[in-house]
Amino acid sequence: MTNPACIEAPLPKGVSDFLPETADKITFIADSIHRVFELWGFRRMITPLLEFEDVLALGMGDELRSKTFRFDDRQTGRLLAIPPDITPQVARIVATRMHSLPLPHRIYYSGRVLRQAQMQSGRSREIFQSGVELIGLNSPEADAEMVAMAVEVLKNLGFTGFKIDLGQVDFYRGIMDASGLSPAVQRQLQEAISKKEVTAVRSILEAAGAPDSVKEEIALLPRLYGGREVLKEAARIAGNERSRRALENITQVVEILDIYGVADHLTIDLGEIRGLDYHTGITFEGFVPGIGEAVCSGGRYDDLTAKYGYPAHATGFAFNILALLASMAKRPEVEASSSRDFLVFNRKDERREALEVAQKLRSLGFTCARDIIKRDFESSLEYAKKMDIRMLLVIGAEECAADQLYLVRVADRRAIAVGKQELFDKGLDLKFDLQGENHG
Amino acid sequence: MTDYVTIAIPKGRILQDSVALFKKIGIDCEELLSDTRKLVFENHEQKMRYMIVRATDVPTYVEYGCADLGIVGKDTLMEAEKDLYEPLDLKFGYCRLMVAEPVELSSKDDPAAWNNIRIATKYPNVTEKYFAAKGVQVELIKLYGSIELAPLVGLSERIVDLVSTGETLKQNGLVEVETIAEITCRLIVNRASLKTKHERISKIIEGLEQHI
Repeated sequence: MTNPACIEAPLPKGVSDFLPETADKITFIADSIHRVFELWGFRRMITPLLEFEDVLALGMGDELRSKTFRFDDRQTGRLLAIPPDITPQVARIVATRMHSLPLPHRIYYSGRVLRQAQMQSGRSREIFQSGVELIGLNSPEADAEMVAMAVEVLKNLGFTGFKIDLGQVDFYRGIMDASGLSPAVQRQLQEAISKKEVTAVRSILEAAGAPDSVKEEIALLPRLYGGREVLKEAARIAGNERSRRALENITQVVEILDIYGVADHLTIDLGEIRGLDYHTGITFEGFVPGIGEAVCSGGRYDDLTAKYGYPAHATGFAFNILALLASMAKRPEVEASSSRDFLVFNRKDERREALEVAQKLRSLGFTCARDIIKRDFESSLEYAKKMDIRMLLVIGAEECAADQLYLVRVADRRAIAVGKQELFDKGLDLKFDLQGENHG
Repeated sequence: MTDYVTIAIPKGRILQDSVALFKKIGIDCEELLSDTRKLVFENHEQKMRYMIVRATDVPTYVEYGCADLGIVGKDTLMEAEKDLYEPLDLKFGYCRLMVAEPVELSSKDDPAAWNNIRIATKYPNVTEKYFAAKGVQVELIKLYGSIELAPLVGLSERIVDLVSTGETLKQNGLVEVETIAEITCRLIVNRASLKTKHERISKIIEGLEQHI
């Protein structure tokens, strides 16, 4: 139905208005993630929505930079940017404002970033991110901590059968450094390997006239994914020192993850080189069944804070909350996050009792709204149903004694008369036995 | 549906070749060749699902994970630039992506001297990239079919299009001048699917690899 009185108020593509029902679910998911971050000792940081583009660009790879929203600053004439990612901001803040504090820093953030997307791709340009950065540690235990937290979050959110896919970009770098191939050939290979295009990799190597040993190593990269057996296979082919160190590193991380008991959720992919211009060691992405994109991603970035004048080892990752929402929106516990407890409906002329009961329920921790509009019972019940409120609490109903309240369960219209104290004691646990009335 | 493996396949010649290839690894989907308007087919025994979609839409369905696997020409992949895995070259559906022009123009034309040329094509992204790499400025006209017509009626001087036998070009007085890429069909895989359904999908990839 269209509303002719409505003014036309279009939105730019790729951003959305989230109405209360969806916003509640987003809050539920974000809170659940933040709880895990806090339990692991991380502290929140709030970053600004605007940065100078040249400053932010120091901490971004080319791809991210090309997706940044930029415009002129009327105050300074400089180019401003809306951050497409929060990590470079955290790196800047740690390097410039927190350099005198002891390490490591455990920082988490939750916010929205903007990225340009392909036209008509159906992709959101606004991304809800909740993530962590662990700065000042080079140890494999730090990388394992990131993965273990990601698993804990996904478990807490009720996912089963999800996978955390581990990579180590230095394994790839070692092989390329040792190959003696020209940068142009390496660029071609990088694209083919990231797509796992086995035949393209072979023909590029053939055309470049690479020696057999190099060919064998590189041609295997697109197939180096799967379970732990991948590490053995990789050890067999890796001749150079850098790749061997990378393998040793990822093996240590996997061993620590065994202690955390999350090994079932791991897959390994040594041909995974997304973020090569940014990451310096372990990388990982989380995938849940039924969702075509990663729900979280991250990894080690030891070179980032140095770009702001403060070299420090660092690792981190972030969840994409809207991707999680897409897969969780229909789950009962998530659905429940958008419902409210009580609607107080007053049949008396005097409002004192209604307001007092509502205040008491709120003080007990129940969500409670007042139906201030004067209307009949049916309309009030209908409103409660539309607004996803569980209970309609009627003050001064004919159906009960003067000192009682009349409580109607919105879902099935079953009702009971209840004393105030009993309501305050039991709240939503009150029993609606079969003797209760059914307004239906 | 998460325990099913879903494959997106385009109609036509690719469909026939695909069904034949899958049959070799014990995946029976001959139902897809029947004369029906159904778009989705399910094989409950093998836990497989098939979707019939337009070739240009295959990468989109797979990128979003609506299909775990897809079969599509490299030309479509080059044009779409989606973030996908392309682990197998299936070797069928061979053709070439070509620059072509009218015979008269070709007789006195020097491709090395091209500058600011006008090209009609179904593949604007690929064309733009190709000529940018050569340092040639191009003006693109996006068409959806019968590209060979464009030079005949003066819409553009040249075209970029797929050529398999070259018969259509010949009948319309056009000749091939440069090859942009050799095209075959590819098996594409959604990134999340390869990880979350790793065993089943790896088995399919390895199986198919033995038969191409």
